[in-house]
Amino acid sequence: MRTARLLTGTALAVAAAGLCGAPAYGAGAEPVELYPATVAPGAEVTVNTAACGADDAVSGDAGAVGAGRFTLVPSAHEGDAVGRFEVPPSAQPGTYEIVARCSSGRRMTSDLVVTLTSTQEAGPRVGPRVEPRGSVKTGVGGALGPDPVQTAAGVAALAVAAAGGTWLLHRRARGDGI
Amino acid sequence: MRPFSRPFSNVSIAAATLVALLCGAWLLHRGTETHAPPQPSAAQARTDRPATGRPATDRSAAALPYVPPDRVRIPSIRVDAPLMGLGLTPRGGLDVPPAARKNLAGWYEAGTAPGGTGTAIVAGHVDNAEGPAVFYRLGALKKGSTVEIGRRDGSTALFSVDAVEVYDSRGFPDEKVYGAAGRPELRVITCGGGWSAVTGYRGNVVVFAHLTGSRPGTRR
Repeated sequence: MRTARLLTGTALAVAAAGLCGAPAYGAGAEPVELYPATVAPGAEVTVNTAACGADDAVSGDAGAVGAGRFTLVPSAHEGDAVGRFEVPPSAQPGTYEIVARCSSGRRMTSDLVVTLTSTQEAGPRVGPRVEPRGSVKTGVGGALGPDPVQTAAGVAALAVAAAGGTWLLHRRARGDGI
Repeated sequence: MRPFSRPFSNVSIAAATLVALLCGAWLLHRGTETHAPPQPSAAQARTDRPATGRPATDRSAAALPYVPPDRVRIPSIRVDAPLMGLGLTPRGGLDVPPAARKNLAGWYEAGTAPGGTGTAIVAGHVDNAEGPAVFYRLGALKKGSTVEIGRRDGSTALFSVDAVEVYDSRGFPDEKVYGAAGRPELRVITCGGGWSAVTGYRGNVVVFAHLTGSRPGTRR
């Protein structure tokens, strides 16, 4: 019976996620999404969930990794509640359970992996991320040269004009008058 | 007596000749001139705001959850192109999409995704060997124009242009262009700033924009 209720709940959550235009990969995946799910100590993690409905304030708990509680607020992105927490710089490498609770009491978890050093950071944070530097090579000057199509069309139009002029001169020469 | 067997009057031939002459001259002039991609005017330059705050009139939207982008649309300059992921070159510069595909732009995958807090970067070619490419008209963009970033969940992040600048490759202002931001911002980059046969384009046109909102996805 309990399993059945759990399944129904999951199905409803998935359906709700579908209605709210949640990320395509959200449906069927974990109800709580962590970005990034693998972080270095000191990084900020963004937590998304579409499982609680559009207007629900969701409470989050990152106490396992030492970051304490945080709140997920409904975002402009429909149906998603979004929150953030910072992994303490002192966090030890390992896997930690991050908890989110709907006001209905529904509890969802997702695993956060803390690594020793930074991997690719997908989260919205400065962190130890590498920024590009210097200018970008996005052109070779190919648009600068003459346009062969326009040039050919121009030559053709001038040829037509020459023909017309010749025709008129020809008529005049025959004494047809202009 | 004027013969009626003539299909065309002198006047109509003369008119057609004149039109052809003018068209031909215009086409030939256009076709042979060297035309450069549009460059932003001084009016589009960045007005540096204080580092701490933002102007009161600035309508800045809250950050969106992380979703990778898949399309860039700039209606005012008729840009609508798919986005590919970009990395870095061995020298630490931003990589670029393959030049052969003229309607393709890219975004810096290891950085902020457009809509997230920070500086998201989108880059594309101004031209390739065949002619104009995706961001040919980027320099014609004006403050207040909208840049739309389509996201993989079907939603769209909407950005408003704050400034359009040209920077020389030498002394390129990395911090201004790529540096972190406290709100969701976007940079759209292409080549520009004059061209020489030796060095190619001298620098980059950089569009500065910030997030103003989003459109929910139409589920695909």
